Amino acid sequence: MTSKRFVIIDGNELSFEEGETILQAARRAEIEIPTLCHDDRLTPAGACRICLVEVEGANLMQPACATRVSPNMVVRPPTPRVTRNRQFTLSLHLADTIQDRALAEDSNPSRLHDLAERYGTAGQWVPVDSPRPGRPSDDNPYIQFRPDRCIACSLCTRYCDQIEAVSAITLAFKGAKTTISTADERSLTETTCELCGGCIDVCPTGAMTEKAALAWGKPEMDLEKVRTTCNFCGVGCQVDLNVDRAANRVVKVTSPPPGTTVNDGNLCVKGRFANDFIHHPDRLQDPLVRNEAGELVATSWDEALDRVSKALLSVADEHGNDALAFISSSRCTGEENYLMQKLARAGFQTHNVHQCAAT
Amino acid sequence: MQPKKARREEILDRLEEAGGQRTGVAKTVQRQTLVPEADIFGVATFYSLLAQPEAGIRVCQGLTCQLAECEHLKSELEADGKSSVFASCLGRCDLAPAFWDPEDESQIDRAPGSPSSPDLAIDLAAPDSLAYEALHKAAEKGPDWVVGELEASGLTGRGGAGFPAHIKWQAILDQPETERYVVLNADEGEPGTFKDREVILRRPHLVIEGLAVAAQCLEARDIYAYVRGEFGRVRAALEEALQAARKAGHLDDGVTWHFVDGHGAYICGEETALLEALEGKRGMPRMKPPFPVEKGFRGKPTLIQNVESIACLAGILRRGGAWFRGLGRTEPGTKLYCLSGHVERPGVYEAPMGTTLRELLAMADGVSGTLKAFSPGGASSGFLPASSIDMPMDFGGLRAAGTMLGSAGVVVLNDTVDMVWAALTQAVFFEEESCGQCSPCRIGTQILRQALERYRDGDPGALAYVQDVAWGMGEASICGLGQAAALPLTSALKYFPEEFGLASAPGGSTTS
Repeated sequence: MTSKRFVIIDGNELSFEEGETILQAARRAEIEIPTLCHDDRLTPAGACRICLVEVEGANLMQPACATRVSPNMVVRPPTPRVTRNRQFTLSLHLADTIQDRALAEDSNPSRLHDLAERYGTAGQWVPVDSPRPGRPSDDNPYIQFRPDRCIACSLCTRYCDQIEAVSAITLAFKGAKTTISTADERSLTETTCELCGGCIDVCPTGAMTEKAALAWGKPEMDLEKVRTTCNFCGVGCQVDLNVDRAANRVVKVTSPPPGTTVNDGNLCVKGRFANDFIHHPDRLQDPLVRNEAGELVATSWDEALDRVSKALLSVADEHGNDALAFISSSRCTGEENYLMQKLARAGFQTHNVHQCAAT
Repeated sequence: MQPKKARREEILDRLEEAGGQRTGVAKTVQRQTLVPEADIFGVATFYSLLAQPEAGIRVCQGLTCQLAECEHLKSELEADGKSSVFASCLGRCDLAPAFWDPEDESQIDRAPGSPSSPDLAIDLAAPDSLAYEALHKAAEKGPDWVVGELEASGLTGRGGAGFPAHIKWQAILDQPETERYVVLNADEGEPGTFKDREVILRRPHLVIEGLAVAAQCLEARDIYAYVRGEFGRVRAALEEALQAARKAGHLDDGVTWHFVDGHGAYICGEETALLEALEGKRGMPRMKPPFPVEKGFRGKPTLIQNVESIACLAGILRRGGAWFRGLGRTEPGTKLYCLSGHVERPGVYEAPMGTTLRELLAMADGVSGTLKAFSPGGASSGFLPASSIDMPMDFGGLRAAGTMLGSAGVVVLNDTVDMVWAALTQAVFFEEESCGQCSPCRIGTQILRQALERYRDGDPGALAYVQDVAWGMGEASICGLGQAAALPLTSALKYFPEEFGLASAPGGSTTS
């Protein structure tokens, strides 16, 4: 019976779980199979064809991303045919996008170019210049689609559908014209799009990118990633601030890779894009209190908190505890909200406490 | 992600009712079906009849129609003030140069063909019969007998794959799932092929009877007939036959018949792309396995057969599998061969499997001019030289020769034809009709077309790596379209190297 639970990949006898694909079984055993259109979170498309492997008994090579392992299946180690296909596929995709790596990576890193360096190509082929329509009039503030870099792998449309359940973008048109579009090619802001920017994170070629980072003009690889916790709400998503050290500026925000943090590669519109407050001239960097002339002036936290506590106590003394009300911000964590209600109920014996996101 | 209550299968019909893709139509259909608006737009732009609703008259630019100067026809239409666009093969190769006016309700003229004979499985020239003897016999004798006769007949799929029919039928009978479907593939689109059209127009009862046998035998309660959209009233001919058969009391009322129009996508002749279209999706072929006999329409066991295969059933069951097998020469049965291009009498000729081009040409009153090359089975089969005139045309033999019988759309080329031009014409077709899903086909078809254009325009090095591209397309494409799309070029290079500036046929790999 136990032999039924095994599959042989590259000469290694591996156990597998029901429903597992060749790719999943191989990865657990740290056997590398290159992929371009695959994401563990999404149903396989089998579109890029770089993961084809030879399975004994099958005439055609099979996509590792989509082929389920079966008992006693034998997947051969990379044969010349498999290697040739990888190089063919890479030459092919490079002919359909920006071939020059430096140009291709003007903003986001390119997994396609990584693979081409790692596995080699079948040679440099004349660019085909596919007639994929873009959406030049899409005036959404955040996400830029560049059709000359798209390889129609459908990672972004599958992400939009299967992870975000938004279905704002789709594969549209046919054949060489196949592109990423919205309904009637409208601006993303006139669709169901929530501007989460997940399409940017999953794109393997930088066809989906951040408008602000493009305008800044430095590629992601020249930015330093600083891991922090998003403070827009209490979920605790981990974000990477992409910092241009020379200019001391946060250029964009990316999500850590799927499977590594609580947000599993995802972010919302605020976490990813609402970061222009960081360098805004009106941003408050110190607490402000009013002076005798009624003007706001910067002060220390100690003094500001002292002022607040005195004012709260004086209102309570003069008008009673129920003259006070406490409202916390939707940006607070659960713990912070707890402390706020503690302050209201235990500190001032009032039930006048609320949170701005509560209903 | 669509809501659970979404009715995706309706969207193609709704798009058609709304007059095809225009701004706002996707929104309307979204309200009707609850399918996300972007998905509807993605579907609408995939199918040429929906994507270009106001394009006017379609002028065929298939190879056969190019030989008949379709460009001249298009200029004439334009001179008459009629708007027109070029379209991939319209399945009217006998009428080349062909066109189709979507507003025109008249029926297609019937093509010439072989005279009636009792030794033909389909016998297009015979009067159609409302007797339905095979259906009643099958009801009496049961599924095992039907599959046994199919096996004895040796019937193989006439759509092009040549897969033994009885294996499919038995595989469905073996499924524990009892929700099963029967689908008729009448989305005939292979350039040079117009046989299914003729079967439906001349012998619609053979088709209805075959489908009824299949549903009865496999205990399917729904039959879907997917008929090519550009065929106009061909679908109506099938529906009229169904009414007549019902009226005559032959059909089981427990079976629901659905007639579905194709919307202009060659790829939907591929069986899993056809299923996607039935389910209201972009017609992109599925990865196999699982095969449709296991997970087909709605994920349930599904029999999909070509019109010609289904039409063979009645004869097989009425006269016996052994009779059918005996009709063939090198393989079982007779076969409908479509002859077009440089022949005197283009038409659909039924002949024993394994008939040679020489014999077929004799039936069609000979070549117009001097034979130079021919495609044995549509664009996907590439080209063979005149010296193959005595090669038996069947599935196995042609496969062994590096080509295929496919749908037996035989396109004949005389010595005025430039093979670079012929290969380019087919390359344009495959690029136009690639669904765009997998990279070898989507990008490879562009590379081949562009390389041929550059070669034609005087760049002698333009074909440097086309063999590598062809290799990958054949090895790595998801479906048969991409796997075959390089064959016109590679076969032209093999048999006519001098036309490509080569002293001899190029060797295999040039990969380092």
